[in-house]
Amino acid sequence: MLNNPILEAKNLSFSINQNNLFHGLSFELLSGEALHIKGGNGSGKTTLLKILLGITSPRKGHIKWVDDTNTVYLGHKNVLKDYLSVEDNLYLHGIDLANTSTKSILKELNLLDKIDILVGNLSYGQKKKLALVRVLVNQSKVIVLDEPCVGLDDRTRAYIVDFLNSELSKNKSVIYTSHIPIEINSKKINIDKE
Amino acid sequence: MTNLLRIESFKLLKKIRAWLGPILIFLLIMISFPLTVELASEELKNIFYSILWLSSLLTVMVSLDSIFFEDFDDGTLEHYFILNNSLFSMILIKIFIYWLLIGIPISILGTFFSISTSGEFSSFYIAFPSMLISSYIFINLFALGNSLSLNKGSALGALITMPLLFPVLILLGKIVLNANFGFEISNLLLLMLGVLLIIIVIIPFIISFVIKTHLE
Repeated sequence: MLNNPILEAKNLSFSINQNNLFHGLSFELLSGEALHIKGGNGSGKTTLLKILLGITSPRKGHIKWVDDTNTVYLGHKNVLKDYLSVEDNLYLHGIDLANTSTKSILKELNLLDKIDILVGNLSYGQKKKLALVRVLVNQSKVIVLDEPCVGLDDRTRAYIVDFLNSELSKNKSVIYTSHIPIEINSKKINIDKE
Repeated sequence: MTNLLRIESFKLLKKIRAWLGPILIFLLIMISFPLTVELASEELKNIFYSILWLSSLLTVMVSLDSIFFEDFDDGTLEHYFILNNSLFSMILIKIFIYWLLIGIPISILGTFFSISTSGEFSSFYIAFPSMLISSYIFINLFALGNSLSLNKGSALGALITMPLLFPVLILLGKIVLNANFGFEISNLLLLMLGVLLIIIVIIPFIISFVIKTHLE
């Protein structure tokens, strides 16, 4: 299968209060490829993701996405409303509970029997799983994840790894940061200062 | 747009205290106000509209306390920006929904109190259009204040917004004055409508720019 470039980042630099987070960062992402952004706490991994997603502007350098690239992003914030039930939160994200694949994902994540429970009453791990449902049902070409495995049990982590491998085999791309090892074949960039 | 309308109205409707609370506050002020003065007195009629405008202002201020903060805090704004590369339509719709669920009900209630206080149905033509238009302007301006003070507490946002509201309050006072003297008020209402039409477009643009800065 021919792997086309979907993202090109050239000479990216970012600093906060004259503190250089990263400097002259260049890389390319192909379709069907995973990119693991590595670095210690405060090294700028989340900032780099935000730059790639267009939320933050780099101080220097530029990013070029292929025109029709759509992305799904799961960051540190779960995009969930505590005062709504699991079902209502899924509705807000346009996720149809009548869909059999959605049901099977919820069942796999042990959330199917919790659809009437308020999200505010769920544990941290359960909220994280629910947030992941949005990624799991999405049809975007690029999946961007910021520490996706934090707070998840081993079983769910394995499920996520299987899912990501399956998406990569469908020629989708993944960009992620993670301190917890994720067993997927990925290109690595380290943004820690030398 | 339809999808946004559906989502934003769903969110606000489910958060009953966010819209019903302010309406009840408005209702309580309007009920308790006549108790503080003699019911039949002329003063009641004279100061009624001042109380009406200020109650409406206070209600809008209270109701917009967390218009953006919750979506900012849980990542909804960030998520929406990634999907659409702009926050304009979301802010436009959000403000409209707040007006629909809070601005219109208090306009109806205010008009009802206006008619019952004056004892004349003709006060409908003063209170209803004035409240409909002014509440939409108030919501836009307080939303701007809240976006500026996102993460810093809503009181600061209200303080920033207050001076911007003075011209609207002056205009509302003029409308009542003209009506009392039997002069035409439609020109002043049209002026206020014109202000609203400009604000409807400009304010969401400014807010989207301000929120984008917060997201960075």
